[in-house]
Parts: sequence; C-alpha cells; structure tokens
Amino acid sequence: MNSALAQPAPIPWEALLPLIAVATTGVVAMLIEMIWPRRSNDVIVWVCIVGLAAAAGCVVYHWNLPALESFGPRFDNAQGSVGGGLFLHDRFGQIIQLTLIATAFLTVIFSEGYLREKRLAFGEFYPLVMWAAMGGMIMATSRDLLIVFLGLETLSIALYVLAGLSQKDKRSQESALKYFLLGAFASGFMLYGISLIYGATGTTNVAGIPALFSLELPDPTAVNVAYAGMGLILVGFAFKVALVPFHMWTPDVYQGAPTVVTGFMAAASKVAAFAALIRFLDASMAMKDVWIPILTVLAVITMTVGNLIALAQKDAKRILGYSSIAQAGYILVAIVAWAKAKGMPNLTIGYETVAFYLIAYTVMTLGAFAVLSSAASKGKEGTLLEDLYGMWRRAPFPAAMMIVFMASLAGVPPTGGFFGKLFIFFDAVNANLVWLALILAVNSVISVAYYLKIVQATLRDPEVHPTKFAPVNVGLFATCFLCAIGLFAIVLFIDPLKSWLGG
Amino acid sequence: MLLAVCSIFALSIAAPFLHRIAKDYCAPLLALLPGSICFYFISLAPRIAEGKPVEEKWEWVPSLGANLTFYVEGLSLLFAILVTGIGTLIVIYAGGYFKGDAASGRFYSLLLLFMGAMLGIVISDNLFALFVFWELTSISSYLLIGYNHKDEESRSSALQALIVTGGGGLALLAGFVLLGMAAGSFEISAINQSGPEVVHHSLYPLVVIGVLVGAFTKSAQFPFHFWLPNAMAAPAPVSAYLHSATMVKAGVFLLARLHPSIADTPVFVWTVSIVGAMTMLLGAVMGAISTDMKRMLAYTTVSILGCLTLLLGVGVESALFAFGVLVLAHALYKGTLFLVAGTVEKLSGERNVKHLGGLFSRLPALGIAGSLAAMSMIGVPLFFGFVAKEAIYEAALKATNMSGLWIAAMVVSSALFVAVAILVGIKPFFGPEVRELTVKKAPALMLVGPLMLSVLGFAFFFLPDLLGKYLIHPSSAAVIGDANIIVLKSWHGLNAVLGLSVLTIAIGIVIYRFLPKLGSVSESSFAKDPFGAISVYERSLAGVLRFGQWQASTLQNGYLRKYILLTICVTTAFAGIVFILHTNWKSLHLTFDLRVHEAALIIVMVAAVAILVRASSRLTAIVALGVLGYAVALVFMLYGAPDLTMTQLCIETLSVVLFVFVLYRLPQFIRLSRRRTRLRDAIVASCVGALMACLVLVASSEPADSHLRQYYSTKAYEEAFGRNVVNVILVDFRALDTLGEITVLAVAAIGVFALLKLRPPADTEGAA
Repeated sequence: MNSALAQPAPIPWEALLPLIAVATTGVVAMLIEMIWPRRSNDVIVWVCIVGLAAAAGCVVYHWNLPALESFGPRFDNAQGSVGGGLFLHDRFGQIIQLTLIATAFLTVIFSEGYLREKRLAFGEFYPLVMWAAMGGMIMATSRDLLIVFLGLETLSIALYVLAGLSQKDKRSQESALKYFLLGAFASGFMLYGISLIYGATGTTNVAGIPALFSLELPDPTAVNVAYAGMGLILVGFAFKVALVPFHMWTPDVYQGAPTVVTGFMAAASKVAAFAALIRFLDASMAMKDVWIPILTVLAVITMTVGNLIALAQKDAKRILGYSSIAQAGYILVAIVAWAKAKGMPNLTIGYETVAFYLIAYTVMTLGAFAVLSSAASKGKEGTLLEDLYGMWRRAPFPAAMMIVFMASLAGVPPTGGFFGKLFIFFDAVNANLVWLALILAVNSVISVAYYLKIVQATLRDPEVHPTKFAPVNVGLFATCFLCAIGLFAIVLFIDPLKSWLGG
Repeated sequence: MLLAVCSIFALSIAAPFLHRIAKDYCAPLLALLPGSICFYFISLAPRIAEGKPVEEKWEWVPSLGANLTFYVEGLSLLFAILVTGIGTLIVIYAGGYFKGDAASGRFYSLLLLFMGAMLGIVISDNLFALFVFWELTSISSYLLIGYNHKDEESRSSALQALIVTGGGGLALLAGFVLLGMAAGSFEISAINQSGPEVVHHSLYPLVVIGVLVGAFTKSAQFPFHFWLPNAMAAPAPVSAYLHSATMVKAGVFLLARLHPSIADTPVFVWTVSIVGAMTMLLGAVMGAISTDMKRMLAYTTVSILGCLTLLLGVGVESALFAFGVLVLAHALYKGTLFLVAGTVEKLSGERNVKHLGGLFSRLPALGIAGSLAAMSMIGVPLFFGFVAKEAIYEAALKATNMSGLWIAAMVVSSALFVAVAILVGIKPFFGPEVRELTVKKAPALMLVGPLMLSVLGFAFFFLPDLLGKYLIHPSSAAVIGDANIIVLKSWHGLNAVLGLSVLTIAIGIVIYRFLPKLGSVSESSFAKDPFGAISVYERSLAGVLRFGQWQASTLQNGYLRKYILLTICVTTAFAGIVFILHTNWKSLHLTFDLRVHEAALIIVMVAAVAILVRASSRLTAIVALGVLGYAVALVFMLYGAPDLTMTQLCIETLSVVLFVFVLYRLPQFIRLSRRRTRLRDAIVASCVGALMACLVLVASSEPADSHLRQYYSTKAYEEAFGRNVVNVILVDFRALDTLGEITVLAVAAIGVFALLKLRPPADTEGAA
C-alpha cells in the first residue's frame, strides 16, 4: 500500500522547464537591477524577452509529449490509490502557460515607455511581472490544491506589490492595500476550504474528490466536509476572478494601480484563476448539483451588475474594470454550459470554449490597457474619458487600435471577442440553457453602450486642455499591432483548439 | 463575389490616400469600381433568369459552420444591382457635395466600407457571414450619421441608430443561431430547401422573435421606427444611400430571403402584416405633417418599408412580385428626392418646405430631376412609380385575408405620399417664391446622380418586359418559386386597380390643398413622438444609467470595511446554505466530556474576547488579543502538539510586540462607529463565528486516521534511525524542503536587513 511513496517519481521536466525559465529570468532581472541600480531598464527588458522566449520555447518543444501527471509522491488515502501528482503536463496547461508567457511578454514590452513617462522606471517591476506570471503558470499546471494555492499566492503577492508601485500616488497605495486585505481574506477562505477537502479526502490533490464520491458508500461526514470545502474554495476563486459580489476590489484596484499593472493583472490573474477553477470543477463534478446553480446565479448577476455599473462610469480604467467583471460572467456562462453538457448524452464540450475566450479576453484587454497607458506623459496620467478626447488626432495609431479592442470586447464581428461570445452562446444553447444564452446576448447589447463611450471619447475633439499622449514607442506599437492582428487571426485557432482540448 | 466585396473593402482602406492625391477628382475615380461591379451583376442577369444561381464558397470557421458562401439568385441580384448601381451614383454625388473638403477622405472610406458590407448582406448565403456584414453596416452607418462629430445632435442620433440597430442585430444573431440549429444548416439556400422543418421545430417561436426584431429594427418598423428620421442628421449622400435605398431595406430583404423557410405560420403572417400596415400609415401621416424636407422623406421611407413588410406578410405571388417592383421604383425616386433635397439644402442652406419656392429658374436641371421623381412617387402614368403602385394594389386585392383593410391602408398612405411628393419635388421649384434665398451654383457632379435616377424612373415604364423577365420575376421566383409567371405590364387597361390609382391621386391633391391649414400639427407632441416610442427609448436609457449610478454609489463606495463586510456576509451565507443543505446532522458524534482545566481555558478565552471587543484603548485590545493567542497555544499543548505550541507562542509574542510598535505611531483611538453599526458588525461576526465553529465540529468528527502518521512513525526508526518523528521528517524525509525553507528565510533576512538600513528621507517621513 505504501510502496508508491518509496518510489521517487521521475521529474517531469516538460512541465517544469517553462516555470524554471520564467523564475530564473525574474531572478536575473532582479540581480541586474541590484548590481546596476537606477540605470536604463533596457537590459532588463531584453533579459525578460529572452527568458520568456526560452520559456515559450520549452513549452513548444515538449508540445507533443503525451499528457502526464506526476512529480512528487503519490499518496494513497484510506480508500486506496487515487493517483495524481503535484504537477501535470497536458494540452490545457500548455495553452494557458503560453497565454501567460505571451501576457508577460507583451506587458514587458509596452510597459517600458509608460514607466519612464510616469517616472516609475523601477527595475523591480520586471522581476515581479515574471514571478506573477510564474505563479499563474503554476496554477495552470497543477491539480494539487496546495500547489494551486502556492501559485495563486505567488501571483497575488507579486500583484499586491505591483499595484502599489506608484509610491507617490495615494490611489495606487490605497489600491494595493485594499487588494491585499481583501485578497488575504479570500486566501484565508480558500485555504480553509483546501484543508476541509484534505480532511474529507485524505489528499490535497483534487483527484481525491472523485475518488471519495465514487465509493459505493461514501462516509456522510466526509461528504459534508467536502461540500463545505468546495464552497469555500469557490469563494476564493470567485474573489480572484472578480465575480459579483466578490468583485468590489476590482474597479478600485484597476483604477488605482499603474495602468500597465492593471492590464497585466486583468489578463494574467483571470486566465490563471479560471484555468485552475475549471480543473477544480472538473474534479468536483460529483458535487455539481450544488455548484452549477451557484455558478449560474453568479454568472447572471456578474454579467448584469458589471455591465450596468459600467454604464455609469466616467473613468476609462474603471469602465474596463467593470467590463472585466462582466467578461468574467461570460466565461462563467461557458463553464456552466460545459458542466451541464458533461452529463448529457451525444454532447461533448471540452475546455476549448473557455480556453478560446480566455485567450481572446487576454489579447483584447491587454491591448486596451496598452492603448490607455499611452495617455501618460511626463509623470502625469489621464484616464478619465475626457482625457481621451482628441486622441484620434494626437495619437491616431493607438486610437485606431482602441476601436478594434473595444469592438472585440463588445463582441462585434469579425473579431475574436465576437467569436468567443458566439461559441459560448452555442455551448449554452446546446446545453439547454437557452435562457442563459439570451441573458448573455442582452448583456452584450448593454455593454456596447459603454465600449462605445470610450470609442467616442477617442474620436472627439478636446474641449478644454488636450491631454498629452506619450509618443508611440516600439513596444507600444508592437503590442497594439500584435494584439489587433491576434484578434482577427485567433478565429483560425478554434479548430486546432477543439482538436487539442475537445471533449 | 468575394473579389467584389473584398475589392470594395480594399478601396475603402485606400480611399483616404487616394483622396490626398487626387483631391476633387477622387470621387469619379472611386466610382469606377462599384460601377464595374454593377455591370458585372447586370451581366449575370440572363443566367439567373434561367434559374441558375451563382454560388461561391470559401471556408472560414468550418467547425461552427461559419463559411463565406455566396449565393446569388433573383432577389440577391436585384439588391446587388441597386447597392452597387446607386452606390456608384452616390459616390459621384459625394464628389460634388464634399468639394474642397480636405477631410472628406474619411467619408469615402466609410461609404465604401458600408457598400462592401451591404453587398455582403445581399449576396451571402451563410447566416454568420450575413450577420457579420449586417453588423458592419450598423457600425458604418453609426460612423456616417455621426460624420459631423462636433455636432451634439448628430452624435446622439448616431448613437440612437446604433443602439437600436445594433441591439436588434444581436437579437438577430440569437435568431440565426437558433434557426441554424432548427434547420440543421447555416446556409440559407439549404434552410430554404428544408421545407416545413423549421416551422415545426420547438425553437421556431424564438427564431421568429429574433429574426423579426432584427429585421424590424433595421428596417425602422414600428415601434423601432424613430431612429430613421433622427438619422437625417447625416450628410445628404448618406441619407440617400443608407437610409432610403439600401441599408434600411436590409431588414425586409432578410425577411424576403428567409420567407420560404419561416413565413408559413399565422404568427409570422399576422405580426408582419399588422406591423407593416401600422408602420406604413404612421410613416405616411408623419411625413405629411412634417415640414423638414429630409424628415418628410425619411418618414415616407419608413412608410414604404412598412408597405414592403406588409407585402411580405400578405405573401401571395403577386405580393412578392409587387415587392420587387416597389423596391426598384422606390430606390429610384426616393434616391433622387433625397439627393435633390440634399442639394437644395447644400446650395441654399434651407430645408423647410414652407420656405422654399421658385428655384426652377436657378436650378433647372435639379428641378427636372425633382419633378420627374415626384411624378413617379405620385404614381402618374408614364412613370415607373405608377407600375409599382398598380402592382401593390393588385397584390392587396389578391390577399387571402383582410384584403379590404390592406387596400384602404395603402390608398390612404399613397394619397399622403402624393402630398409629400408635391411638397418636396415640385413646390420648391415651381411654387411661388416664399423668401429670398441665396443659391449657389450646382456642381456638375451633384447633378449626375439625381438626373440619372429620375430619368431611369421614367424610362423603366417603357421597358416592362425586359425588367420583368430579368429582374422582377427572378426575384419573386427566388422567394416563392416560379409556379405562376406574372408578367410585368405598364398598362393593365381600365380596371379596378386603375380606379384606385386615380382615386389615390385625387385624394392626394385634396390633402395637399388642406395641408397648409394643418400648419401647427408638426409642432405638436404627437408629431414629435407618436405613440411614445422615443420616450420609452429615452426613459429606459436614463433608467439604466440611473440604476448603474445607484449601484455604484451604494455598493461601490470605496470603503474597504463595506467591501469586507459584504464579502464576509456572502461567504457566510454561501457556505452556510451549502452546509445546512448538505450536512447530515445525525452522522455527527459529539461528546461533551469537559475537564476542569479545559473549562478554565474556555473561560479565559471568552473573557479575552469580551475585553477585546469592549476595550476603549488599543493597548488593552492588543493585550486581550495576545491572551487569546496564548490560550490557543495552551489548547495545542493540551492536545499534544508541542511544536505547534512553540510556533504559536513565538508568533503571538512577535505580533503583540509589532502591534505595540505600530500603535505607538497611530493617533488617539476614538470610537467613531454608531451603535447600530456596531450591532450589525456584532451580528455578522457572530454568524461567521458560528459557521466556522460548525465547520470545525463537522471536520473534527471525521476520523482522521491518516496513513501518513502510521507511515512516518514506522519508517522513522526503520529507515532514518531517529525516534523524534518530527525531526526525522524535517532533516531526512523532507530534507530538500527544509533546505528550501532555510534559503527562503535567509533571503527574507537579507530583505529585512535592507529595509532596516533604508531610512526614508526626512521630508517624506510624515507621509510614511
């Protein structure tokens, strides 16, 4: 029974190499900053680019290796072996890892100019981004709840610090504190949930949950504990992906944090947390009679509240903050549809809709924040809608790109955002959730109004003082361009995604 | 096909650059492309008339069934020729309209974007491709209406148009997805061949709602009609092209195109007929009582769209035949009148019909075009409009239900049209001069379009065979199949239909005579907002905004304590519900064998908590918290976990010390919260506490016979030769972990050291 413990498992380099590459890059970047402090950050940027490229190379190099779950001892619980290790190597993990690497890459290249303009050119920024990305990658490649939690904390703590990067800006400080305090609460709930799951199943690996429920006569107490643990873990995730009513930190933090950090935060933490969430839910299928209704309700109120409050906002960053809440609601619809479809005959929905939407969301959100970041100049930054007036004339390229990103967020064809929503709609209808699909459609209509506000603002002529826009540098240009191209090209990936992740 | 659409899009991108080089010659150059595409489509006519549709297929997202497929039959052909042909003339006209405007490159770009999208709508076979083009027309229409973006009114009406049509578009998407699922295909040609499958499908009601909302919003049907008159803030070429000849017809086009598969139910027939008839009457009345030329034309366009919708609802062969005739005739005369009105406004700065008159001597060519078009609109014999009018009366006579009602509605609205046509097309030129107007000279480019269209409206009267055979008949055959061939005739001889036409004109002239006496009607609230559709739109928009603001100020007020409160409440409720629903209370085995020292410990803890929450100074609170921590450490010790006890004691001591350091710097503690707030907090805290206690109870009643304990306690001695299991685990079994922890501690220590050395500069100390 205990022989599995004595066998040291082979180290799955295919799962770990990308993590090691990103972590090492962060350390090297920090060392450079330590050795030559307060110099131009070009060297660090290049180191990060090379490191991330290496990490992406590692993922791609091992692309075709068969899926594997290992590393670290396999524990057997009282009921028998449940398998599962600390890390795993599969297509979904690889895709999310690549997404996060790309997010970090784009953030690094478009941040340089912004940080310089905002007098925030600290070298610490880059290692923190690297480690946050690493945390996210860990979350995506593990089914062990403790490892997921470690990844989550690595990501979150780096983000807390990043949010407070602008030491002179009180709002930035406030946002960091709020984020940290509320995040600590959520982490506490989640950790408690994990320990309850451990108590119920005897392992921290989610594989223990189906093992518990597949028993002929599961211990009723253990089942109770598992349900309670699942509920608390969901709260932790709901906080991380900003579902209503755990969303309140989002607009404040998005507004207060430096724009580049907001962009990275919006993209990376949501991608990683959703990836981990769907893995957890996949393992908790036995409890879906409880969590499907909960998530359905959350999806509806998240979409609706996010969209309605966004209408009343006057700050572009806050609008995007609420928009990201609403977007999380859409993704939740996809998850609910996926879960509903699991029990239905003749219907298989894999992770592909969620993965597709996450990628599209990352690309359009990062792009939008990249454009917004160009409104910073000489230590000042304007993110009110009025501050964007006249952008069309002063910075035509970012303004044009902004229209593309807003169109995609609003779900205007033929952008990636449109297809993402369409796939979600399809899944929902296929899973007999026509009413949920219609709520999604109605919400998309509402959202058009506030995305248009941003578009209109960039096209209007300034009334009083025109905002200074930073000159478009190579990094910003490249980010906008890559994101915009990506939004149109991403559609071509749905079929490969399906074949990688399908059913 | 794809080449045609893509080349227009490519030209759209190139237009601003071309405009920079070619300046005022840009427009005729740009017009070459739509012109040649128009000829291409005309050249397809003989082939399609023989019943051979043109197909083309490109794969796009095959897994969804979203492909770029094009399928041109009679109906598509008719619309494609209109889109490209009128488009050509509009581009030329815009050359005159925007003469000397250096920034108009953007206009051509948007206009061509729209043209490409509109062409895409009419020739797409795939529902998704059609939808993509559909939304593109909404967006380009939004940008074109708001072309004068400095003007607040044009911005808000552009937004209104976009919200209405864009929102309708999403309903349409829902309808399309469900339609595709019901029919098993996303190709319209395949759906139309699937027979009654769709109609009998359980999703059919939703399909109809989606498609109708999409079509009605786009084609400005009641109660969504209000955006179209407001869209008249757009420059004249846009009004003429988008809002009369092409885009607004996309809705009725779609209904016609899907007619074979979805129309065969009473729901569809009655909804479409009634909405169409209401819109037709409403538009005609509103048109007649307005005085702004462009609004009058817009309302009559709404009316014609209503008539087209009604024809689709009537659905018999002659109705679909009349549909084709009316589309063609309306595009010709209404396009002309819009261009004439736009030209008059551009040259004289006036668009109120009451103030216009006697312009013929100064704008003779325009006068000819205007009056020819007006004659066609009135339905005077020798004009194509007459043929159209005959056709719709004929259709109404043959309607299976309510024939009389439809005829009455048609006669009334056509009679009102007569008045509008005279007011807009004839009176400004031949009427008495009302006031002195300075009129500029008309550029030649602005005359090509109106003249050409109006002359065609005249000439087509004499070519019924040709038109009937190649355009009209194939278009109705595409909808209803060619069981019965109806021959397009210009003159039917003396019959009931002719009588109706004569009657219409007679009533119309009477109405024209009496209209001036109704002068004040156009100022009434009814004229501004009939049946309150606009106020519903505005109120719901404002309501949504207010709701958002209310939420933002109550939920999102920025106070961290409120956020935490809500988070905790929801979590407690959330976990509590799951817990209560799923806990099998009987399975809990609770034992209460309390010993004396345990009871004492509990009393100490409770007392500490009581002091903590009642404390009036921070120091007392910290000390109470410390007591609580030490008590917990004692609990650990009582239950045999000395290592945990040690850790807890250390951390507790450290945090008390740290707290005291921080407290030292904080201002005086004052109780600011009110009694009610404190009570609320107490309740919330008790709930959380109760929940956590329950969780602990449940979790601890689970027998925790982990095999780990057994494993380590046996292997510790066997394999690592140590009796202290904890030590063995730390240094042997998990040695690498321990090394890692030591490293982390070392790094942290370096960080702390660096922080300690770092002293804030003197000036920022207060802020820190």
